[in-house]
Amino acid sequence: MSATEKLGDARAHGPLTLSLALAALAAGSVWILLATPVSHALAHGNATNGYDVVRMVLVYATLPRLAMALLCGAGLAAAGAILQQVLLNPLASPTTLGVDAGARLALALATLFTPSLLGFGRDAVALFGSAASTVLVFALVRRTFSAISIVLAGLVVSLYCGALSAMLILVKDRYLASLFIWGSGSLSQQSWEPTIALAWRLAIIAIPLAFLVRPLTLMELGDESARSLGISVERLRFLAIAIAVVLSALVTSAVGVIGFIGLVAPILARLSGARRFGERLLWSSLIGALLLLLTDATLQNLAGFSSEFLPTGAVTALLASPLVLLLLPKLKTATRPPLQISPRVGFAMPRSLAVTVAFAAFAILVALAIFAGRSSTGTWQLFPSNGWADVFAWRLPRTAAAAAAGALLGTAGLILQRLTNNEMASPEVLGVSAGAIFAVAVSLFVFGNVKTVQEGIASAIGGFAVLALILLLGRRSGFAPERVLLAGIALSALIDAIVGVLSAAGDPRAVLLLGWMSGSTNGTAAATAIQAGLGAAVLVAASLLFFRWLTILPLGGAQARALGVPLGHSRFMLLLLAAVMTAAATPIIGPLTFVGLMAPHIVLVTGIRRVLPALLCTAAAGAGVMVLADWIARTIAFPLQLPTGLVAAMVGAPFLMVLLSRRGTAYAT
Amino acid sequence: MRPNPISLDRRQFLARLAISPLLSLLPALASDKTALRVASLDWALAETMLALGHNPIAIVDAASWNKFVVEPLLPAGIIDLGLSTEINFELLAALKPDLILTSPFVQELEPALQRIGQTLELSVFEKSAVPFAQQQVLTHTLAERLGRSEVASAFLAGAEKQFDSYRARISALHPLPVLLVNFMDGRHVRVYGGSGLYQNVLERIGVSNAWTGETNYWGYSTVGIEKLATSQNLRLIAFEPIPPDTQPTLARSPLWSQLPFVKARQVSVLPPVLMFGAIPSALRFARLIIELLEGLKK
Repeated sequence: MSATEKLGDARAHGPLTLSLALAALAAGSVWILLATPVSHALAHGNATNGYDVVRMVLVYATLPRLAMALLCGAGLAAAGAILQQVLLNPLASPTTLGVDAGARLALALATLFTPSLLGFGRDAVALFGSAASTVLVFALVRRTFSAISIVLAGLVVSLYCGALSAMLILVKDRYLASLFIWGSGSLSQQSWEPTIALAWRLAIIAIPLAFLVRPLTLMELGDESARSLGISVERLRFLAIAIAVVLSALVTSAVGVIGFIGLVAPILARLSGARRFGERLLWSSLIGALLLLLTDATLQNLAGFSSEFLPTGAVTALLASPLVLLLLPKLKTATRPPLQISPRVGFAMPRSLAVTVAFAAFAILVALAIFAGRSSTGTWQLFPSNGWADVFAWRLPRTAAAAAAGALLGTAGLILQRLTNNEMASPEVLGVSAGAIFAVAVSLFVFGNVKTVQEGIASAIGGFAVLALILLLGRRSGFAPERVLLAGIALSALIDAIVGVLSAAGDPRAVLLLGWMSGSTNGTAAATAIQAGLGAAVLVAASLLFFRWLTILPLGGAQARALGVPLGHSRFMLLLLAAVMTAAATPIIGPLTFVGLMAPHIVLVTGIRRVLPALLCTAAAGAGVMVLADWIARTIAFPLQLPTGLVAAMVGAPFLMVLLSRRGTAYAT
Repeated sequence: MRPNPISLDRRQFLARLAISPLLSLLPALASDKTALRVASLDWALAETMLALGHNPIAIVDAASWNKFVVEPLLPAGIIDLGLSTEINFELLAALKPDLILTSPFVQELEPALQRIGQTLELSVFEKSAVPFAQQQVLTHTLAERLGRSEVASAFLAGAEKQFDSYRARISALHPLPVLLVNFMDGRHVRVYGGSGLYQNVLERIGVSNAWTGETNYWGYSTVGIEKLATSQNLRLIAFEPIPPDTQPTLARSPLWSQLPFVKARQVSVLPPVLMFGAIPSALRFARLIIELLEGLKK
């Protein structure tokens, strides 16, 4: 708290004071780092014959690394400042918009399939990935550039890219630690070449950027005013976003993903009082450069104390996400207009028919999933070769567990979307899943190998801990849904960073963790399946009790209060229910399915709008998606079985994009 | 970096030469109808079984075996059970194995496996100070279960003899200390030491490891390449695969190209050796090292 208050006091010379303070800290840390090697180099000069290790490391590793930190920090912070200006969104940044994640996935794909591209084509690969994920994010939100929607879309795309990378690592290569290293951004250098190359590239990008500063400043006046001054707003937006994407892709291509510098530096510049866009851009770049330098120098100083490999990018994310949580109340996010649900979209079937069709489709899917499969020699068959033994021992439990988890997540997704009025809300972004992953990671790394039961317990504890934290943070804002979601995002990022740090060292347990995250239903015991089924039945039934709140809350806070709904209380209860559902489902199918996002949209397309049938159909849709994913996972790559959770994401996400792209009329905002 | 001077044919020839005295000890396999049908969820246990002359009927991730274990090539007809994180239980159940070999790494699958058949969990890696003690115990335990205790004793004695002869050959070579690495990309390596399989072998055959830094529980550490900078005279041995952009990147780094051991061209490449392997992988690693070092002397 005190930090932000101080920032407020220093508003007059804010950015300068802040930069000086950061510079002093960074200088101190750099001094500690360099004192010994520099004095050694000065004492010995060039006189030493042979290989002077201290001097060589100083000149070709430590110094270029520090310069690289400055460049990357500045580049990312500039990209963040541009994105925040163009989108008039204080939460925009290469990290939150999924730009980083796209570059990371593209680099991972290139590493695995066309390693020869990585020599000179690394920049191109990163750029392609960044551009693709950015386009995807904008396609998802279409023209509703609301701050929260775009960040949620960015997070969804990031998570999807993460799921794809995880799948690649699991299926293609057991020991592919380099993907983790790039994903966590290591600044380690062995020559000046990459630093100089990046400096050139950033300098070239700075030229067009300089021309954009004035028009971008005028954009603050609003699109109409800008247009009347002769600015083509669309073209300007496109150009500016392109520049930001190029900046961040170049950095990612040089060192990997450095999380959150591009978000935090512009926020600090803004909060410390930089008003005009030009000022903000300059101060952000400086603050970003100094922040990353400080982080990296401190990390290098501390490296002696730990034998584990600590990549800088993951550490910045680790440090920045609590800061984001802290700064959240300072930021104004636009409140969304109430949800206007147009009654007739999609296929607009009579409601009872739609419900019947939904459940019939579900029944067919289940039958398919249980009976169709592959024999031991790999041929397709409609009835298992071992007869009922196979069905009861292996297929029925996993299908049932997947269905139960799907129903839980689908319902949780519908609740969250209604609660937040946001079609991109889902249990995946609530942070509960991330908490569950984190707890499992800790139990794996602290207690060694753990059994399924302990994993389940750990994930439940982690999920609930994050839930408690979110509710605690949310209480201050009366459980304003946007705040709760943002807090969830920050927590997810924090936990992702921790998992990244654990994995980048190449620990074999990282593969176990990935395996857990990928959502395996394989070998589910009958007892587990029965528990999951009962849990799903009870919780989905419980959600039906809240149908009145779920009908009224989307009308907006004032309306709801007028209709006698206790806002804080109802939001708390619904959040709690959604979180319990998520915590129950995550140990079964992992945290990355997107089924909680998908299921409500599938139901929207069928034209079902009333809450009660929508809840039931969403549960069925969620279950259906998971059953289908489970069947595909079991059969498609025989004898390989794929993890169900990841297959759900793989199959479901493109489908989701199609649904979202034709929604237009569903949520008119 | 020099290309590996040893041709594949010669290596395979030597491999057969090394194993041939052991092969004569093995009872004829074809007539053994009563042999246990064993599925192995761990490669080290699978390679130990192959060395004991009792082929598993199925192993996990068979598709990648030839890439990571390399030798011996996986005999034909061994069924692939899929990814180690995602065992194909239906397939495993249909095979009705008499015994399923597991490791602590697949511990969480235990309840599901017990529905299929008997399991035997053997830990390949323990951070024990005594090189190979764990592997010897493991080999004996496994052999006892397979009814091949005599073969195991012969195999272990043969392995000891082999290591002794390697040690004698090494002492004649007076080799430089070695630095064992895996290049992760152009900027990072994984360097081996501590108490892993490679370190055990180096100690056993009398080659000293130049890496004195810390390593993790499994005996390796991921570091930036600058951490390899040293004025010490040593030989760097990098395991394949080496990412394609590594060599050009390093060539442009003064920190790297001026390293004494790089300037002296004391950099060699070895094919991959299963890091979490058992005695067969250890023997193979020792053989690769000695072939490499002897090849350099010529």
